Amino acid sequence: MFHVSFRYIFGIPPLILVLLPVTSSNCHLKDKEGKGFENVILISIDELDRMLAIDSNCLKKEPNYFRKHSCGDKKEAAFLNRAAYKLEQFVKMNITVDFELHLLTVSQGTLKLINCTKEETVSKEPKKNDRCFLKTLVQKIKTCWNKILRGR
Amino acid sequence: MIQANRYAQEPTSLTLRCLGPDCTVGSSGDLEDAELDTDFSFSCYAQLEVDGSQHSLTCAFDDPEINSTNLEFEICDSLVGVNCMNFNKLQEEKYFIKTKKFLMIGKSKICVKFREENLACKRVEIVHIVKPEAPFDLKVIYRQRANDFEVTFNTSHLQKKYVKKLMHDVAYCHEKDGNNWMHMNITNTRLTLPQRKLQSDAMYEIKVRSIPDSDYYKGFWSDWSPSSHFKTPDSAEEMNPVLLTIGVTSFFSVVLLVILACALWKKRIKPIIWPSLPDHKKTLEQLCKKPEKNFNVSFNPESFLDCQIHKVDDIQSRDEVENFLQDTLSPQLQESEKQGLTGSRPGPNWPSQSPVITTETFKGELPFGRPAGNVSASNASMLPSLWAPGCREGISSGSPVYQDLLLSPGTTDSAMLQPFPHQPGILTLNPDVQGQPILTSLRQNQEEAYVTMSSFYKNQ
Repeated sequence: MFHVSFRYIFGIPPLILVLLPVTSSNCHLKDKEGKGFENVILISIDELDRMLAIDSNCLKKEPNYFRKHSCGDKKEAAFLNRAAYKLEQFVKMNITVDFELHLLTVSQGTLKLINCTKEETVSKEPKKNDRCFLKTLVQKIKTCWNKILRGR
Repeated sequence: MIQANRYAQEPTSLTLRCLGPDCTVGSSGDLEDAELDTDFSFSCYAQLEVDGSQHSLTCAFDDPEINSTNLEFEICDSLVGVNCMNFNKLQEEKYFIKTKKFLMIGKSKICVKFREENLACKRVEIVHIVKPEAPFDLKVIYRQRANDFEVTFNTSHLQKKYVKKLMHDVAYCHEKDGNNWMHMNITNTRLTLPQRKLQSDAMYEIKVRSIPDSDYYKGFWSDWSPSSHFKTPDSAEEMNPVLLTIGVTSFFSVVLLVILACALWKKRIKPIIWPSLPDHKKTLEQLCKKPEKNFNVSFNPESFLDCQIHKVDDIQSRDEVENFLQDTLSPQLQESEKQGLTGSRPGPNWPSQSPVITTETFKGELPFGRPAGNVSASNASMLPSLWAPGCREGISSGSPVYQDLLLSPGTTDSAMLQPFPHQPGILTLNPDVQGQPILTSLRQNQEEAYVTMSSFYKNQ
């Protein structure tokens, strides 16, 4: 009995202390006024939206990725940071040069405006032709930015 | 700018060059000492979407006398997909780059490089050194009804995605004033210049330039647009032709009215405006018919005479009467007239005193100088004369004088003795038959006439 209590007393609390930084948000927004988003990123998002002429049913089927990662309260910066890294994975789709430029503008521009202390781990790469996922991702980024700006 | 010393044992020296807070360290082994002291300060400006979706960045040294041989420009950071990009060298000592890869978020670093060595660097935000394109298609239209000039121009930034909001500076001046430019700032591409602010009949020059006007994009004034020239209308030419015609017509109408007024003043206008009061005496004189020349009319009440009316029986020939008058008229008339003149009123024996001239008693010459002749007068009394309706006058005595149907040659005016000038015949008087009633009527008439005249005189 005594060795069992020691396990719970001296084992679990340190574990909790170690795991706390993982769950806490390590990102914050530099451009609190949102000028960079409104004058540069939003323009590229609209261009990407125009280029990705996809069936409207695509947005109804939300991938599981967004169930795991959402633009929750106090997690907007982290979501944008993660979404920006995810977006760069679609650069290799080779659609057009302008498409690639706008894609990188949204990705790199977002990363420029967000400061995270910890680098985001690259998750599993999506399918190259998963345009529906890309469009959903772009819309999620736009929605999250608007949420941040409304909360000013 | 900070420059480190050169040491003998080291073949090269480190040069620390700072432009403001930015400092770079580079070796200067290949540079001459003179070049180390050169100021490599430079200036840059960016033009977004200048060629479709491509942007441009242009840099040049502030000192035009710098030998830019082997010198290059490089930009790093805040680029899309790349880390750094090199400029292209143009003529006129300018360095130029055209690309779509400006991130336009965050700062970029622009450096002057000599080979691989950074001589001077500068950290700038591309969105803060934006120079818009010059406006074009500047037009000036004169609006006559509004008395103003409508200025319109065009700019390529209306179709751009990034730099949309601009401030435009419209400058105009009188060509004779030279450099006295008037400036007006507007945010749209249309301007109205009131004519009253401009001189009349003058030639003006106008031009426009732009600058970014937003919270995010900032920068410098663009180049001036090509100048446009316009001329303000002359004040004399502004007169409406319709108004001019009306004015001329009115003037001539007024002149014509004045001439007519002067011409018709006395005859027509003045009698209406200032009528003369009528003079009753003159009016009556004009109304009455003027008798013969020697027949003077007078309204002097003292000269009023009664006209007696005698009823006559018939008319006899004139010749007989004339002869008769010659024979018997003169003495008998004198006696009878004396009797008649002495009394104011005829006596009861008047009829007997009436100058009934018969052939028997009438002797002697007539005052007319005619020899007495046979007067085949009837037994009835003849009236040698029957005066014309006009009564005899010329008697200056104050007593009323009756001028019977007789002649009174002694006292009468010879001019008045015209017994039968107008009558072809003669009216005969029969006083025996009608003497009494006639005398009575005569007397009444005399009285009435006397009263009437006197009353008329009194009323006056």
